[in-house]
Amino acid sequence: LNQEKPQQLKSAGLCRRLSCSKKDRVEISPEQLSAASTEMTGRPMRVVGWYHSHPHITVWPSHVDVRTQAMYQMMDQGFVGLIFSCFIEDKNTKTGRILYTCFQSVQAQKSSDFLFAAFNSVSYPSRYDRIEIPIHVVPHETIGKVCLESAVELPKILCQEEQDAYRRIHSLTHLDSVTKIHNGSVFTKNLCSQMSAISGPLLQWLEDRLEQNKQRMQELQQEKEQLLEELAALE
Amino acid sequence: MCKRYSKFISSLTLSSFCKALFAEGFLLGEVRQEETVSISDSQISNTEFLQVIEIHNHEPCSKLFSFYDYAGKVNEESLDRILKDRRKNVIGWYRFRRNTQQQMSYREHIIHKQLTHILGVPDLVFLLFSFISTANNSTHALEYVLFRPNRRYNQRVSLTIPNLGNTSQQEYKGSSVPNTSQNYAKVIKEHGTDFFDKDGVMKDIRAIYQVYNALQEKVQAVCIDVEKSERVVESFQADVNKLKRQIAQKKNEKEQEIRMQQAILSRQMPTDSVEPMFVPRMSYTGFAVEGCTLEDSNVSDPPPPYSDFNTSTHDSSGSPGLLESSSIFMPRPQAVGSSSYVSTTDYCAHEM
Repeated sequence: LNQEKPQQLKSAGLCRRLSCSKKDRVEISPEQLSAASTEMTGRPMRVVGWYHSHPHITVWPSHVDVRTQAMYQMMDQGFVGLIFSCFIEDKNTKTGRILYTCFQSVQAQKSSDFLFAAFNSVSYPSRYDRIEIPIHVVPHETIGKVCLESAVELPKILCQEEQDAYRRIHSLTHLDSVTKIHNGSVFTKNLCSQMSAISGPLLQWLEDRLEQNKQRMQELQQEKEQLLEELAALE
Repeated sequence: MCKRYSKFISSLTLSSFCKALFAEGFLLGEVRQEETVSISDSQISNTEFLQVIEIHNHEPCSKLFSFYDYAGKVNEESLDRILKDRRKNVIGWYRFRRNTQQQMSYREHIIHKQLTHILGVPDLVFLLFSFISTANNSTHALEYVLFRPNRRYNQRVSLTIPNLGNTSQQEYKGSSVPNTSQNYAKVIKEHGTDFFDKDGVMKDIRAIYQVYNALQEKVQAVCIDVEKSERVVESFQADVNKLKRQIAQKKNEKEQEIRMQQAILSRQMPTDSVEPMFVPRMSYTGFAVEGCTLEDSNVSDPPPPYSDFNTSTHDSSGSPGLLESSSIFMPRPQAVGSSSYVSTTDYCAHEM
């Protein structure tokens, strides 16, 4: 794949997980993809890539991820994949890590792999290989509106997924009262978990950020006054 | 029989650290003891004492060396100015470095000892963050290690970050345990109705959904305030930058004026020297070019790392990576993650 000029990621949109998908699959449907593009308000934008997370597991894309990426590249050669990995700890050094990587897919070169697989009844190897794509995060002094909106959208998405799961269960009529109470409690428990693990810390972070900004405003205001005096003195 | 263990819980969102422009600060939180009793076949009861250290929040320092000097001597007054009334909540401090070893430097040890003494926290902790990248810049990692330097053994401690864990939607039951007992059916139906309202919806669900909704509304409201404040900070910063540019420009203009006047004066003075006339070089750097100035405060750049008394060889903020191999992080051979693919069987076992 040729090195195109670097793509600039302006904003990230969250996609709801497909409700019928298996637990470990993250394919985004074409409808979701086009919905994501139209949701980007303001300037006309196009989707330049997809991202997903690998909580508790290694950051490298699986065979499935690489294949999914290859499919996307058939629509758009410049499409990139991003993976974020978190809640990882190296037990030996007690080091915690948060990683992110950028990749694309290429056709695997070795055809001998296919023969090997056929003769040895091994699981069919991937037709695609991962290639690494450099990624640079451009630091910014302040946080953009779209980023903030994406962040507060996350608890809503999680709650919606939980509601969908509960609704499906709730529609089953043959359940006895104890089971219904159990299911209702699972919903309550899960929502509590979301509130304490996601909404709560998010709110704390937002409040702290607001406080930090207020302080920063004061400091900048003071600096501005000093500079105005300095400028006046030079006139 | 009692055993002592230590555990760290952090309710801190790491995102606030990642966005932190400041390279160091203090950790605020609390320490408490938890007692757990377990029963095993070998003993009647086994009491374990767990020391839980919770990190609630952090107080960033606006710059390096804000409470200590180059020799590592801590200034208590500066410390108080930074911490104010939060001093009693301090349980540790943190520092962020790029491309360095995950060890405390000599200066950091010195500072730590003084902080332990001044703040009166015997088990003061130190959280070291470092940022590393692969040579081709495709993969980046933020690493963090929590130290308890005042202990002799087990100085590194695991940091637990609360998270959602595995999404537990499998806990819903799609079928009931079959039971033909009439009494069972009668009892649970009769008493179970207390849980449901007239529409057949569980009361708890309505209640918890209201709590969630109220919380989400608050989150969105504060988010709007934050967004506004971000824009204000942006515009203030732009004003400050503009003023700095103007000042720089004025200063340069004045310097040029002075030089020109000096040049005129020196021409007017009589001289029998055959030396060539001094012609002042016109300085062009003073003219403000849009977006490219002398005084542009690059606060978005990471603070330049300073060399510590450790064996780190990387002290240039420009060097992006320290690795030859593109997929293995060095110099930590036991780094998590390898260049090989995760096999599909392994992958399926984990939640996304």
